[in-house]
Amino acid sequence: MRRFTSRNTVWICLLFGAVLAVPLFVSNSFAIDICIRILLFAFIGVAWNLMGGYAKQLSLGHAAYFGLGAYTSTILLIRYGVSPWIGMLVGGIVAMLASLPIGALCFRLRGPYFAIATIATAQVLMLLFLKFRDFAWGAEGTTIPNLGDAPLMMQFEGKAPYYYIVLALLVIGLVVTYCIERSWIGYYLVAVGEDEDAAEAIGVDAQGIKRNIYLISAFLTALAGTFYVQYIYFIDPNTAFSFNVSVEAALVSIVGGIGTLWGPVVGTVFLEATSALLQSWLGGGHGGVQLTVYSLILIAVILIRPTGLIGIMTEFYARLVRSGAATAKEVPLDP
Amino acid sequence: MLTTVAQAVVNGLLIGGIYALVSIGVTLIFGVVKIVNFAQGEFVMIGMYISYFLASSFGIDPLVSLIVVMPALFVIGVLLQHLLIRRVLALGDMPQIFLTFALSLLVVNVALLLFTANYRTVQAPYSETAIHLGAINLPVAKLIAFVVAMTLSAVLWVFLHATDLGKAMRAAAQNRDVAMLMGINPDRVFSVAVGVALALAGAAGALLMPFYPAYPLVGQVFVLMAFVAVVLGTLGNVTGALIASLMMGVAESLGIQFVGADSGLIVVFVMLLLTLALRPSGLFGGRSR
Repeated sequence: MRRFTSRNTVWICLLFGAVLAVPLFVSNSFAIDICIRILLFAFIGVAWNLMGGYAKQLSLGHAAYFGLGAYTSTILLIRYGVSPWIGMLVGGIVAMLASLPIGALCFRLRGPYFAIATIATAQVLMLLFLKFRDFAWGAEGTTIPNLGDAPLMMQFEGKAPYYYIVLALLVIGLVVTYCIERSWIGYYLVAVGEDEDAAEAIGVDAQGIKRNIYLISAFLTALAGTFYVQYIYFIDPNTAFSFNVSVEAALVSIVGGIGTLWGPVVGTVFLEATSALLQSWLGGGHGGVQLTVYSLILIAVILIRPTGLIGIMTEFYARLVRSGAATAKEVPLDP
Repeated sequence: MLTTVAQAVVNGLLIGGIYALVSIGVTLIFGVVKIVNFAQGEFVMIGMYISYFLASSFGIDPLVSLIVVMPALFVIGVLLQHLLIRRVLALGDMPQIFLTFALSLLVVNVALLLFTANYRTVQAPYSETAIHLGAINLPVAKLIAFVVAMTLSAVLWVFLHATDLGKAMRAAAQNRDVAMLMGINPDRVFSVAVGVALALAGAAGALLMPFYPAYPLVGQVFVLMAFVAVVLGTLGNVTGALIASLMMGVAESLGIQFVGADSGLIVVFVMLLLTLALRPSGLFGGRSR
């Protein structure tokens, strides 16, 4: 078993080294853009997965925190000249504060009605920001002033620095998930996710643990929001509170493997790669193709293997090991 | 002032009738099959497109197209239950929520591919006319839609209370296991429930066609309203959903009149969040979920 873990570590180090080296070899800006998208949505998926995967609180409103992070850092930058690096952290804290009342409302509901209530909160925030014309530019949105190469203001010449920032975010998300998964909090979360009443009956503070994991999930999602607007240099309510962000966060986690450390990463790579292939195959201008394919994949995963791609891979690996063991047993019998 | 309020209330009630058809469908499926159909709005959209193509290709009036739309959607509902929903009934929340959610994404995006995002409208002879009651305007198309919607709701009520199949559905809604022990065939009851719910959504689509444009995302407006109405009216309660839908229509219309044209939805969402905060079990029930 010990040898197995160390072999795993070696693989992860190799993989990480390869991911680190990508910008050195990929100079095509379209390709690196896809890589950044993959890392960003993997990170949002990881943040969603803490809530939706481990505690099974199936939120469809994570765009609320994505948008709050994006707007907080942008308002601080444009109105007060505060660096987005600080704005990012402030955005995370704003999102955490917002998650308290939202959680207090939504956690009264379970299952599908929790999902609906979270959709409503994200929509309310979007509608509010559409109304804040003087304070937050209303429906027209605003462009973020381009300062050229200004690392202190989270603005860079090439795409490689953005790649490393979002990679760092993803690593932070994965480390947080890993630590939570291994600690008592992880077990409590899974217990609440499996059966909230039973967990409470054995002394788990279900409301408290849900509130805490929601705080962490909201914080991480807000970081992604700040990064995204700094990357595309533009913000408006429809981008920042886009329902697609909420959908994709859940989608990548479910397709990859809900409630697993690597699920969101595997899911994002698979979905984004499929979408990039489709785009190069069909060309642009086919609105709807990407989400049509995503939804078909989602239906297939739900009906065939609700544990997602990670589940399929684990099973395949187990079968491989078992058949390997069987042949190993047969060898000595052969004269 | 009084006329403005009265006019807003009347407008709200008229559109509330359409909301009612959608939310009764959602609450019926939830009550009987214990699934929340996130795709209910998309079946309104399908109803609208069927009605639109019947009108544009064969010149059939949207009201007449009801006799095609409702059976077609009923069949789609039975197929939906048999091919998809049945397979996730024994699974947990995640598959149940995301199956219909994925279905909603799928239908919207296929519609986008087939019909593009363009708005399509049907001009019926009564689309522009209105009846004047004193100072209040009653647009004929909306009035017809409201009357038909209320008639369909009444027919459903009679069906649920006076026929064996309807009683079986209510029994299954109250307690599925006991109902099955009494010899009720769950497959049949579930199929009829989903079929009827989709037929109502399709009817809403056909009724909307004379005064509302069809486009792929049109269902989202109605499904959000329906969810709020269903929570407000207590999950699984058909009469509750009907009353709540009419209330929501009025609230939205008053919001548009007095807060601003883009504020109708804010009023509705605030109503939802207030309901969740103050009476999570809805207005018409003590049982919370």
